[in-house]
Amino acid sequence: MTRMEEIMNIANHIPPFPKVALQVMKMLDNPEVKAKDLAKVIQYDSAITANLLKTCNAAYFGLTRKVSSLDDALVVVGQDILKDIIITSSSARFYKGGAGDGYQLEQGELWRHSVATAIMAKMMATHFDKVDPNVAFTAGLLHDIGKRFLSSFVADEFAKIVKLAYESGGSFVEAEIEVLGMSHADLGAKIMKKWQFDQELIQAVKQHHDPDAIGKDQLTALVALANTQVMTIGIGVGADGLTSKVQGAGLKHYGITGRDLEIYLAGLMLELEKAQEMMSLAA
Amino acid sequence: MKIIVGISDMRIGTKPDDVLITYSLGSCIGVVLWDPTVKVGALLHYMLPDSNIDAEKAVQKPFMFADKGVPMMFKEIYKHGAKKSNMRVYVVGGSQVMDDSGMFNIGKRNQMIIRKMFLKNNVMVAKEDVGGNVNRTISLEVGTGLIKMKVSGKGEVIL
Repeated sequence: MTRMEEIMNIANHIPPFPKVALQVMKMLDNPEVKAKDLAKVIQYDSAITANLLKTCNAAYFGLTRKVSSLDDALVVVGQDILKDIIITSSSARFYKGGAGDGYQLEQGELWRHSVATAIMAKMMATHFDKVDPNVAFTAGLLHDIGKRFLSSFVADEFAKIVKLAYESGGSFVEAEIEVLGMSHADLGAKIMKKWQFDQELIQAVKQHHDPDAIGKDQLTALVALANTQVMTIGIGVGADGLTSKVQGAGLKHYGITGRDLEIYLAGLMLELEKAQEMMSLAA
Repeated sequence: MKIIVGISDMRIGTKPDDVLITYSLGSCIGVVLWDPTVKVGALLHYMLPDSNIDAEKAVQKPFMFADKGVPMMFKEIYKHGAKKSNMRVYVVGGSQVMDDSGMFNIGKRNQMIIRKMFLKNNVMVAKEDVGGNVNRTISLEVGTGLIKMKVSGKGEVIL
């Protein structure tokens, strides 16, 4: 088997995204959906139920009282927040253990990067009129899912990829493509497709390192922007460092200034302090 | 004891076996102060140059910003007997993503402000390692003043 085939083989055999999550996300698109109908579906996935309660009680979501049962949680939590919680608690399982260690990321760092990008994307979604903030959150959370599965291949060719990334003036993603035949963004898109996410999410994951990302569709632009922001301050950054190409000039189109970028970074730090329970979900 | 300095934080080490460490400096800057006479060290990890963007956070999180955090760091280490004339100063970080437009050049602005502040206050920098597209982790052994720096893609060196 060639290496490309090996990588594709992994993409074809990865565990499915929790069915319950996808079903609930669809149900939540209907604003009239009833809590008891949601509960009927959610209760079949014990991990999501447990994580749902844990996440509901996380300070990030700002609930005023502690919830102790599924029915209780579904009554207290608004639909908007429920979507974020469902996606967070069902994605966490893919980021456990040494996910990302091929990138020299410490345990938990790939998840921390993903949660931070999700929060940043949702915060900055106000500048993107065609983007649903919940979709922005989901895209942020899963944009680097390819790293989770490309990690061992990166580890095998680590010296070559790093040398190329730092000595050629190219980006880490370009080095991945050169050495492995595909980048973590390409692989991530294949995984998202396998998991049956919408086309706009697949595209955003695929293009999040494209230098022209900010000039593309709004969700792609937002995910690339949020990822760049989080990379810039070094959250969950491994051997790839800041070797990522982006054309920031396109932000003018959205009325986003350098000062705005700083204000959002300051805001992110406070949101992350509130998101501690979310960080522990992948532990 | 290993003392981890998070983003937007500053910590002081006073014991010989204290090691101050801060992980993954991208555009952020790590400032190390070490006084060999009293053997006291400090490490700051600031994120942004100027606290004028957010008056509330400037009070809440002064170490997030160079303009508030750096003077406060000096004040804190003086309380432990360190003197400006003895102090060794190191500056590390301030890198950025590959963006020709300069929109994401917080790293460069983080470098510029500390240079300006140090010039104004006659602070000499012993060594610095700034810029590029790397991320850096630095640590200070308070007992010896040894500074180790780990650079993404390059491994560990003594600064």
